[in-house]
Amino acid sequence: MRTVLTIAMVLLGFFLQFITYFFLTAPWDPVYSNPRIPFAPALFILGVMLVFLAAVVYELLPDRQVQ
Amino acid sequence: MAEQPHALPYGVGRFSHRFLILLAVLTGVVVWGLFAYAHQLAEGLVVKGLRDIGTMGGATWGLYVAFVIYFVGVSFAGITVAALIRLFHLDHLRPVSRMAEALTIIALILAASCVVADLGQPLRGIINLFRYARPQSPFFGTFSLVVSGYLFASLVYLYLDGRRDAALMARRPSRLQGFYRLWAAGYRDTPAERARHERVTLWLALAIVPLLVTAHSTLGFVFGIQSGRPGWYSTLQAPGFVVLAGVSGIGLLLIIAAIMRVTLPEGKEVHVGIFRWLGTLLLFLTVVYLYFMVAELLTTLYTGTRHEAEISRSLLVGEYAWLFWGSVTGLVLGALVLSLRFLPTNVQTRLPSVSPRWPVLLLIGALLLTGLLALQGLDLISPFSATTARWLASVAAVLALLALVLSLPYLSRNLVAASVIAGILVNLAAIGKRILIVVPSQTHGNLLPYGTGWYQPTWSEISIIVGLFALGALLYTLFFKIFPVMEVHAHEEGAA
Repeated sequence: MRTVLTIAMVLLGFFLQFITYFFLTAPWDPVYSNPRIPFAPALFILGVMLVFLAAVVYELLPDRQVQ
Repeated sequence: MAEQPHALPYGVGRFSHRFLILLAVLTGVVVWGLFAYAHQLAEGLVVKGLRDIGTMGGATWGLYVAFVIYFVGVSFAGITVAALIRLFHLDHLRPVSRMAEALTIIALILAASCVVADLGQPLRGIINLFRYARPQSPFFGTFSLVVSGYLFASLVYLYLDGRRDAALMARRPSRLQGFYRLWAAGYRDTPAERARHERVTLWLALAIVPLLVTAHSTLGFVFGIQSGRPGWYSTLQAPGFVVLAGVSGIGLLLIIAAIMRVTLPEGKEVHVGIFRWLGTLLLFLTVVYLYFMVAELLTTLYTGTRHEAEISRSLLVGEYAWLFWGSVTGLVLGALVLSLRFLPTNVQTRLPSVSPRWPVLLLIGALLLTGLLALQGLDLISPFSATTARWLASVAAVLALLALVLSLPYLSRNLVAASVIAGILVNLAAIGKRILIVVPSQTHGNLLPYGTGWYQPTWSEISIIVGLFALGALLYTLFFKIFPVMEVHAHEEGAA
C-alpha cells in the first residue's frame, strides 16, 4: 500500500508536469499566448510538489497492524 | 516519565540575556526594513534608484535582483552539503547538516522576499505568475520553480531528517513537547522506520541534486540567453552561477559553523575536520570561479563586440572598477587565507606573531571610514569633497589589507578563524560580483544609441536588504532555539 501510493503520487506529479509543460501553458503554438486553462503554471508547481510530498507519505503512512 | 527538569540539548529553549538583546537588535532592524518597505509601497517605486534603461539613463534591475541571486546562491550550499553527506556517506560532516538545511530554507525565503520587494504591485505579481507564467521561460524556473519547488523539497528534507530528533526531544518534559510530538508524527525509531528513512533520504538527495543544478542554471540563463544585452549573453553564465552559488553558500556555512562552535555548550562537536573539508571545497570552487572570470574577460576583450568591450572597460578601469577589483581581491584573498594551512608546519611556526589588537584596530578604522563614505554615497551626509572621498576610500582599503596581512600568521595556525575570514571575504566578493552581473550591462550595454546610464541604490533599497538580512538571522536563531541544531545523540535519549 505504502509503495503503491508513493509511486502513484510520483507518477501523478510527473504526469502533471508533463502535460502542463507540453500542452497547457501554450508552449509551442504561436496562436496562443496565454495558458489554455487558468492557473496552468500553478499545476506545474503542484506536480513538482506532489513528487516531493510522496516522500512524506512514504515515511508517515502507518504500518499495517499485525494481529 | 519522570517530571524532572532537564535542560534540552544544544541550547534549545534557553534564552539568556545576551540572546534577548540580540533578538531585540535584530527585531529593531527588521522593523526598520519594514518601515522602508512601507515607504516604498506608499510612495511608489520612484523611491528606488532604479530607472528605465536608455530613455531615463538608468537600470531596471538593481540591488533587489542582485540579492535574489545572492540568496538563491547561499541556499545552494545547504541542501548540497546535506545531499552530499547522504550520497557519499560523509558522516564526519553530519554536525553541520541541519545548519545547512535551515540555511537553505531561510535563504530561499529571503530570495522570495527580494522578488516581492522589487514589485510595485506584489500581490498582482504573485497571482499573475501562477496564472500566466510559461514554464519554458527561465524566469519561471527562477522565480517560481526555485522558490516553490526547491523550497518545498528542502522543507520536506528538513522535516523528515528532523523526525528522529523530534521524537527524542518529545520524551523530555518541556513547553515544546507538543510541538516535538507533532513533528515526530508517531516516529519510534524502529529498525523498519530507520531503513525507510534511509531509503527516502537517498531518493530525496538524488532528486534534489539535479533540481538544484537546474535551478541555479536557470537563474544563470535569465541573463545568459539574452542575446540583445551585451555582457549577459554568455555560455559561462549558467555554470558560473552554480560555482559562485557554491562559493557564497559554503562561505556562509563556514561562518555559521564557527559561531555554533563558539556559542553552543556542545560546540566542540563542530570539529576542525569539518572546517578542513568545507574549506578545501570552498578553495576549489573559488579557484574555479576565478578561472571562469579570467576566461570570460579574455574572450570579451579579444573578440567581443564594441558594446561588450565597453562593459569590460567599465569593469576594469571605469566606474565599476572599484567594485570589480574589490570583488577580485576578496576572492583571491579568500583563496589565499584558505591556502595558508597547506604551508609546511616549520614555515607556519617561523611566521612572526603580532598582537591581535593591531589588526582589530586597523579593521575598525577601515570600517568607520567605509561607513562614513557609504553615508556620503547615499547623500545622507556630505563632509568630504569627491577627491577626499576617493583618497579616504583608498586609505580604508589599505587599512583593511594591512589588518589582513598582520593576521596571516595567526590565521595560518587557526583553521577555524581562517575559515571565517575566508567566508566573509568570499561572501563580500560574491555580493559585489552579483551587482556587477546585474547592473553594468544595463547602464553600459545598450545596443541602441543611448548614452551610458547610472544606478545608485537609495536608502530605502539598502534598508530593505539590511532588514532582510536581519530577518534571516532572526528566523535562524529562533529556529535553533526550538529545535536542536545537530543530531541528538543516543546518550541524550538516555538522559530523558
